[in-house]
Amino acid sequence: MKKIVTMLLSLLLLIGIVGCTTTENSSSNSNSGSDGDSQQQGTKVLKLNNGSEPTSFDPPIGFDSVSWNALNNLMEGMTRLDENDEPQPATAKEWDVSEDGKTYTFHIREDANWSNGEPVTAEDFEFAWKRLANPDTASPAAFLAYFIEGAEAYNTGEGTAEDMMVKAVDEKTFEVNLSSPVGFFPTLISNPAFFPVHKETVEQNPEWHTEADSYVSNGPFKLSKWAHDTEFVFEKNEEYWDAKSVNLDEVHWAMVDDTNTEYQMFKTGDLHTSDVPSDLSEQLFDEGKAQVEDQSGTYFYRFNTEMEPFQNENIRKAFAMAVDQQQIVEFVTKGKEKPAKGFVAYGFEDPAGEDFRDVGGDLVTTDASKAKELLEKGMEEEGYDTLPAVTLTYNTSDSHKKIAEALQQMYKESLGVDVELANQEWNVFSTEQKALKLQFSRSSFLADYADPINFLESFQTGHSMNRTGWSNEKFDSLIEQAKNETDEEKRFELMHEAESILFEEMPIFPIHYYNHVYLQSDDVTGIVRHPVGYMELKTADIK
Amino acid sequence: MAKYVANRLFAMLITLWIIVTITFFLMHAIPGSPFNQERNTSEAVQQNLEAHYHLNEPVFVQYFIYLKSLATLDFGPSIKQSSTSVNEMIGRGFPVSAELGMLSLAIAVISGVILGIFAALKHNGTIDYIAMTFAVIGISVPNFIMATLLIQQLAVTWEIFPVATWSSPMHMVLPAVALATGPMAIIARLTRSSMIEVLNQDYILTAKAKGMSTYQIVMKHAMRNALLPVITILGTLVAGVLTGSFVIEKIFAIPGMGKYFINGINDRDYPVIMGTTVFYSAFLIMMLFIVDIAYGILDPRIKLHKRGN
Repeated sequence: MKKIVTMLLSLLLLIGIVGCTTTENSSSNSNSGSDGDSQQQGTKVLKLNNGSEPTSFDPPIGFDSVSWNALNNLMEGMTRLDENDEPQPATAKEWDVSEDGKTYTFHIREDANWSNGEPVTAEDFEFAWKRLANPDTASPAAFLAYFIEGAEAYNTGEGTAEDMMVKAVDEKTFEVNLSSPVGFFPTLISNPAFFPVHKETVEQNPEWHTEADSYVSNGPFKLSKWAHDTEFVFEKNEEYWDAKSVNLDEVHWAMVDDTNTEYQMFKTGDLHTSDVPSDLSEQLFDEGKAQVEDQSGTYFYRFNTEMEPFQNENIRKAFAMAVDQQQIVEFVTKGKEKPAKGFVAYGFEDPAGEDFRDVGGDLVTTDASKAKELLEKGMEEEGYDTLPAVTLTYNTSDSHKKIAEALQQMYKESLGVDVELANQEWNVFSTEQKALKLQFSRSSFLADYADPINFLESFQTGHSMNRTGWSNEKFDSLIEQAKNETDEEKRFELMHEAESILFEEMPIFPIHYYNHVYLQSDDVTGIVRHPVGYMELKTADIK
Repeated sequence: MAKYVANRLFAMLITLWIIVTITFFLMHAIPGSPFNQERNTSEAVQQNLEAHYHLNEPVFVQYFIYLKSLATLDFGPSIKQSSTSVNEMIGRGFPVSAELGMLSLAIAVISGVILGIFAALKHNGTIDYIAMTFAVIGISVPNFIMATLLIQQLAVTWEIFPVATWSSPMHMVLPAVALATGPMAIIARLTRSSMIEVLNQDYILTAKAKGMSTYQIVMKHAMRNALLPVITILGTLVAGVLTGSFVIEKIFAIPGMGKYFINGINDRDYPVIMGTTVFYSAFLIMMLFIVDIAYGILDPRIKLHKRGN
């Protein structure tokens, strides 16, 4: 008998170890039980995948696509981009621009309301924009506000909130003074960093943005449920001024981090859109299922102009011209990217209606024999008998590795140079690249706002995005001039000139422009994806 | 016994402190920063962020600030997900991981022990070979392959189970099975070998001579001793499985704790690295302690108070 008791006790203990927290969990998942099947007939529910938990739904904080793709549909700034990527009046009914292009006066719609029924006021905007620049907010997007007079000084601690020139003239009139005439200002402020916040809510509850219950928004949708790390749900916002144009009743956002799983869920109908798993992209392109949308950004390589042998311009050019971008997109990446022969991506129209890239043309050409010539010339200039060892570094990832290997082979074939490959964990790589410790390394640029100047300003002397050690006075002054030029035609000329200087000295060379490849159910229409900007669901519909 | 427990608890605290210290300085020694981005970030913005999280202070100062908040069991806010505290992350993620972990451990222990016992009883027979083939497959097939196979067959082709996410009991089956295969195989092999050893002992022969049935022998006499090695590894296994599996949770989109271990390090999210490490270590140390206590109860030959001194 005693043995049986001990035996039972030991079994209990075993189960106890295994089951010590059973009770606390069994209740936690019961409430979300039959979620997927509870859709009533007639309600339009769009099922999307956000990838992961948004970093934050507080507009100035969540500076990434996992936060802002969703946020772009919860809130609305003065303007919103239409399907042609042009800014349209949104919370603002209209705006006036002063003659010098530096003062914008926005008139907010009478019927623009928050989801709690209160009107959106100019004061909300003033509060939100000053909050963006406030150094205590520590917004990673604060630099976007630097176009506003006094914002940079406030953000860097040299000025005060009062010096930042944004002002609520009356309840519905909002005035902004810029430090330079920025023609693309209406496009810039469609960015989520410039969304208003409900002043009273924010002041009363600093944690207002962390839960669905306390979240107050002014966009096409409102946040009705947020199960952290699991999913969040949008409901149509009846208080929205243009609610009649919103077709969807609900948007469900899953948080599936794995592309293969996402794709499987798309196939079983649990999701309406999906990214394309890289090993299936060729097949899905062949079947005509994968769709492509331009994304404004460039995949490129940086030379370290302070390290041998890349202090020499001709050697840099040789390494750039030995690369065949067309081959890389066709046989290596296979994602229907456009090969890049300049730095500024497609999609920016000049006053004559022509694309900046088409006007600028090819600034680097693939020419193996010319490359070989330049390499010899460069080596002669530097007095090299043999070229110093070259190491190409990329951050650890399969896709970067494939491109790096293609480059390695091209250099071997065209220049007869053996390039060593090295990879580093992303954060280490990034730190070393910024500290100019890498000789030759991969890079990427995605535009923060829709203007060629955003691409080009990166290579000003000492700019935090420069990361090559390259410096050119003429280039710097052209960028400065372009930033202060009110005549659009002249401004584009200045930018073209700057870009061609960049390629004359070649501290970088491009590989391809970015795009976004995705799958989408045939039942879904009207989702807008901008080259620069975030997903629009306002016009989305579902059969 | 009480003295033993007190001694052990004190030693556990010291161990934890050493782990905290080593992790803290190692973590700050790796290059990188939580605010490192490929995109443009201005110097001023960077400095504002660093000041916000006290990262501009010397590492030693940060260490004492951290120890102070740790003493109150406050792990601090996550840097990446600034509106979430690490306590909240663990509070949300651990129950989910634990639920999944327990389910898969139950599968692993029950099926592993049964497989092991049968294999031992039919030592070198067909059943043994079949069971051990299973075990070898279980050990050698990585769980993410298992997961993908299960999704492909049972979710996409046959549509019996949902592909992923975490909302109903049906959603738990595939990840639990995928997560269970490895531990199951380990337990089956351990059970088998210790069972074979026990079955050759004199007291089992005596029991047989007395005419007891195989069932009685196994359940009454052999199992208790044969499970001792299983209990030994169970401590580590429980801590490992219950705190979440990065791969399985990623594949099945389960909101558990697993991702914080990996993402915390990739993002250099210092509070998350510390929080998950401290939590996992404390849990593991606790489990090892429970296992030691369990020994004393299961095997009267082990006298805890003597070892304690």
